[in-house]
Amino acid sequence: MGTEEGRYRLSADSAEGFLPSDEEIEKWMDSAFGMAKDALENGEVPVGCLMVYNDEVVGKGRNEVNETKNATRHAEMVALDQLLDWCGGCSLDVSSVCERTALYVTVEPCIMCAAALRLLNIPVVVYGCRNERFGGCGSVLDVSSADLPQTGSAFKCVSGHRADEAVEMLKTFYKQENPNGDQKLFFC
Amino acid sequence: RWKGSECDTDSWVAYPVLSDEQSQDVELIEAFAAPIVDKKETSRLVRELNGLYPLNGLQHIKRVRAVKGSLHPLEVLVCLVSEAPDLKEASIDSLLPSGGVKHDGLGQPFVVTVPARPPLTRPQFELVRKHWPTSFHEDKQVTVALRGELFSPPQKARMHTYMTSALTAARTGSELGMEAVGAVMVDPVMERIIAVGHDCRGDHPLHHAVMVCIDLVARSQGGGCYPFDRYPGCSFQKLPDAEASPQPYICTGYDLYVTREPCVMCAMALVHSRIGRVFYGTASADGAFGSKYKIHSQKDLNHRFEVYKGVLGKQCEDLNCVDQHINNKTSQHSR
Ligand SMILES: [Zn+2]
Ligand SMILES: [Zn+2]
Repeated sequence: MGTEEGRYRLSADSAEGFLPSDEEIEKWMDSAFGMAKDALENGEVPVGCLMVYNDEVVGKGRNEVNETKNATRHAEMVALDQLLDWCGGCSLDVSSVCERTALYVTVEPCIMCAAALRLLNIPVVVYGCRNERFGGCGSVLDVSSADLPQTGSAFKCVSGHRADEAVEMLKTFYKQENPNGDQKLFFC
Repeated sequence: RWKGSECDTDSWVAYPVLSDEQSQDVELIEAFAAPIVDKKETSRLVRELNGLYPLNGLQHIKRVRAVKGSLHPLEVLVCLVSEAPDLKEASIDSLLPSGGVKHDGLGQPFVVTVPARPPLTRPQFELVRKHWPTSFHEDKQVTVALRGELFSPPQKARMHTYMTSALTAARTGSELGMEAVGAVMVDPVMERIIAVGHDCRGDHPLHHAVMVCIDLVARSQGGGCYPFDRYPGCSFQKLPDAEASPQPYICTGYDLYVTREPCVMCAMALVHSRIGRVFYGTASADGAFGSKYKIHSQKDLNHRFEVYKGVLGKQCEDLNCVDQHINNKTSQHSR
């Protein structure tokens, strides 16, 4: 874990050499969906998100926009903060942990979160459904692969895992929130 | 003293960062025009040509133009080259199939260029009108802004004050080893500073000045999630409860002053926060308000806003040298 070798490899190489297996994707996405379902049952935005390093969950997030009055508190940002705290607690070097950490999330990260993931050099993002309104991995902008030399490194996306289920949960949530069907904010 | 500061505000100009559609050159396309040799036929020709070649989607182009000092003072657009029948040499006979339009009064056709889209700004209009007369629905504010004359001297003096606070914050942060970037959130109606923040990424890689400022605004309304109190350069104005916003769109109607163009993360954070307007000093390589993206005018996003650059541009630019200096020092240390 966090070996010197990993530290100095180019980000493209590390993304190449670091890709979760199908079983890992299955397993961690199942946890992410569990979180999303939980959130939905508690009347919260049904997005599940976790960061996995070395087969361990080092960050978990749910949307905290309302309670913090900070519109940037998306699940991914909360999970990234936990990852940083975890690194601090274990006295591990943030960059060497980040470059071997995968993010699993039920909905495509937005443009802001995608840029944040780049800034921390997270190499892989596995997500469920597209985020048509704010998506930063291709739906609105492709921040994940864009040529942005000052904004960390590009990351790989594995998309579409249980996408229909993720969409259904979001639809259910927005129907509850807003039975009249007005345009409503999309918290992810 | 007043004179001195008046002088200062003359040292910079705030220019709008317009959308690509507004700032690009307007695409030109080729069309056939022909001189009207018999002026009396003009209205009939225009009517019949409108029927045969309606120039759909090109309502901004005038059908007829006046040519000064020519033998035939009027010329009419016949059709686009792309809609003309494929032929080696265009003649009026080939362009106007028999029965549709009577040729009487038309001279030999020739190729002209016309704008494919309506001009959106005065510079675009000035450019395209040289090719063919075009109608233009002028947005006066954009015209004045492009001349750098949108803000009155008192407004500029206030902008100057706000950006000066951002510069001070940037320097304070830089002394703590952070990148030299500062940001100030302002309520323009109350003319009041709500929050001042600087880059804190030495302690947290995502704490760019804008992100810090957004969280400080949340603090000002009883929310927020980070303790920035240990940074003397970061502060917020606690709002009376009555003014605290009940919804998470906390920056609605606020202006942000930031010393350099925000990155993608910060720019999108401002979209999520429903910022009112953004003013920045100097551009940045991966900037998302003009350099790499124009997130404030991105088509698919649900919140658009105005962005201006160049406020105290020189002073903001000089902050990069502060950064450079520090970077050199640290790299020497690590060697
Ligand atoms: Zn997000
Ligand atoms: Zn930023």
